[in-house]
Amino acid sequence: MNWNQVLLVLKREYITRVRSKGFIWATILVPVGFVAFFGVMVFVTVWESDVAFEIGIKDETGSIVRPLTEMNPGRYINYSNLSVDSLRTMVQQDVITGYMVIDEENIAEDKNLELIYSGSGGMQLLTSIRSDVREVIRQERLQRAEVSEEIQQIYESRISVDSRRLTRTGEETDDDTAFLSIVGMILGIIIFAAIFSYGGYVTRGVIEEKTNRIVEVITSSVKPIELLTGKMAGVGALAITQFSIWIITFFGLTAVAGPVATMVMDQQTAGLGPEAEAAQAELPMPLDLPSLEPSLIVYFVIFFILGYLLYSSLFAAIGAASDSDTDVQQLMLPVGSPIFIAYIIMFHTWQSPDSLLSVVSSVIPFFTPILMVTRIAITEVPFWQISLSIILMILTFAGTMWLSAKIYKVGILNYGNTASYKDLLRWIRQS
Amino acid sequence: MISIQVKNLNKLFGKTQAVDNVSFDVYKGRIFGLLGPNGAGKTTTIRMINHIIPLDSGEITINGLTVGPKTQKMIGYMPEERGLYKKMKVGEQLMYLAQLKGLKKPDAKKKIVYWLKRFDAYDWHSKVVGELSKGMSQKIQFIATIVHDPDIYIFDEPFSGLDPINSELLKEIIIELRQNGKTILFSTHRMEQVEQMCDDICLFNNGKVVITGNLRNIKKEFGKNTVLIEFEGDPGFLDELEDVRINNRSTNFAEIRILNGLSHQQILKKAMEKSEIHKFQLVEPSLNEIFISTVGEDNIKNKEALLA
Repeated sequence: MNWNQVLLVLKREYITRVRSKGFIWATILVPVGFVAFFGVMVFVTVWESDVAFEIGIKDETGSIVRPLTEMNPGRYINYSNLSVDSLRTMVQQDVITGYMVIDEENIAEDKNLELIYSGSGGMQLLTSIRSDVREVIRQERLQRAEVSEEIQQIYESRISVDSRRLTRTGEETDDDTAFLSIVGMILGIIIFAAIFSYGGYVTRGVIEEKTNRIVEVITSSVKPIELLTGKMAGVGALAITQFSIWIITFFGLTAVAGPVATMVMDQQTAGLGPEAEAAQAELPMPLDLPSLEPSLIVYFVIFFILGYLLYSSLFAAIGAASDSDTDVQQLMLPVGSPIFIAYIIMFHTWQSPDSLLSVVSSVIPFFTPILMVTRIAITEVPFWQISLSIILMILTFAGTMWLSAKIYKVGILNYGNTASYKDLLRWIRQS
Repeated sequence: MISIQVKNLNKLFGKTQAVDNVSFDVYKGRIFGLLGPNGAGKTTTIRMINHIIPLDSGEITINGLTVGPKTQKMIGYMPEERGLYKKMKVGEQLMYLAQLKGLKKPDAKKKIVYWLKRFDAYDWHSKVVGELSKGMSQKIQFIATIVHDPDIYIFDEPFSGLDPINSELLKEIIIELRQNGKTILFSTHRMEQVEQMCDDICLFNNGKVVITGNLRNIKKEFGKNTVLIEFEGDPGFLDELEDVRINNRSTNFAEIRILNGLSHQQILKKAMEKSEIHKFQLVEPSLNEIFISTVGEDNIKNKEALLA
């Protein structure tokens, strides 16, 4: 391999792309999108859904409806004096969302309540009604049993668990598992998206050279493997440039935005009393960032690069085997599925990063870039697992590169039709 | 002196023998035509000479060197399937291609400017290729092929897809290159182009070399046994002739190859009975005729393409 040629190819790939409008826009818009995303998230946490769902209560016992309406006056309305038929009509006419009939059996005999409703409101409504009713009926039963106040208090106690991490070196640190889980998931999603988009660049670049019919001119000066390497490295350099810009912007923004936002929030909540302050305490995430460990960023970069190399070599082969952009789809399946599978497993890993499934899949090279980063962010991953996954990825990359180089070599000179899997096998054997 | 030497070259694609024991020599300072119907193995051979695809067995040497990255730089190659990066500027593109051929930047720059000016294309320097007309980008393609000033030029089906103006321009370039002592190899399935331009030829069919050598000598060997006849009147006499092959037949013209000792005087006689003769000439056979008589009509791939 002549590295001079590779460097020339790399330079062209990099420079033409970095100057393109698409790149400049993506570089600007993605952080804007991210900010918008967080904005929406804050918005959602602050504004509880204030759509009112009115539930009519027909209380035959007379003791349940009052505590219920006290608990949530907007939601529960006392309709004990109406008949069931008129309640039904009201639901049908959308005057109320639903109704419940409560009689003695529900209190004394553990009989389930029945909510008759129009179906709107979703899970959130059902869950909150369930817990409200449960609470009220329990209170009522406690009262009837005439238990002492002390025991009633026992029932009301809510002990929670605060967690702190003890590191190997004996340091005790604040546990940010909740925050880190979100970080882990975001990093996983970023790698998922990055592999697809930069891999897509490589595929499209290869197809462009084929459809422009310049590839034969190029290969009369450059070996296919040099062209392939230069192309992958060029797009890789582009990815690193783009990510560096984003990471710097991100840290710059959070360094500035954090304090500013807290200041604004402080001023707003100052006059609002303890309730608002409590509400603010519940939305710590985007504004009050626990620090990310530098090692996490290093691992993110390592796995991102390895994942990019592994997949882009395959994406290049797809490009070489296709004749046009539209033909890419059918060949994409075998290459795209592992990324998607990893993406799906990530939602499991996110919740239990140390389960057998998480551990095993995170060392499978095709899943590693997404899953290992998620795990490293959330939990203490043993060093041997990290090293094993890195070694396996490098070995697999050597394999995919070898395979891809063979397909690429034949494929780039194959015009006019998209290769079938049979053709690919033949190409691999032939070269 | 031999510029390109091809010896017992073989290439197998799956079960198809695309190139079958091919040998020929291309001499320095001459124009060499690689001829044959589509699918005869010309492009495959050319790609192997350019070290784009590997050969199975045999040997190719360029100025005495076995093909490889080094010999690639001695060749200017214009493939049949040709194109440029659409989104790149003309100047940058030529610079990139010249650098890939091993030119240093300042040197490349001088040559690019020279050729752009020479082709009245200097104004396009900063234009994106996608904005150029087809004819303009064909010119840029020529420049890309010759900018690194190699010794050897290979054009695969160079005239296909060219507009008439650029066709003429390319012919001029080729002839000028030859005058400067460069070696040119081009492939085509159009026989008349070869007859106009080539010193030496190599005829391909089904992956094999049918004839190779000096064009004039080859023609001489076949003798003056072809009649060109121009006439007016009933062309029925043509069908009455026996032991001849008629090529290039039209309403008032025919090229008649005498196969079996039939006297050309007899043809003239028969023709005169039916029609008025405007021209009657005894010539060497056309390349087309040579090709057909060598491989036999049945064995020719893509006969229509050949006769086109």
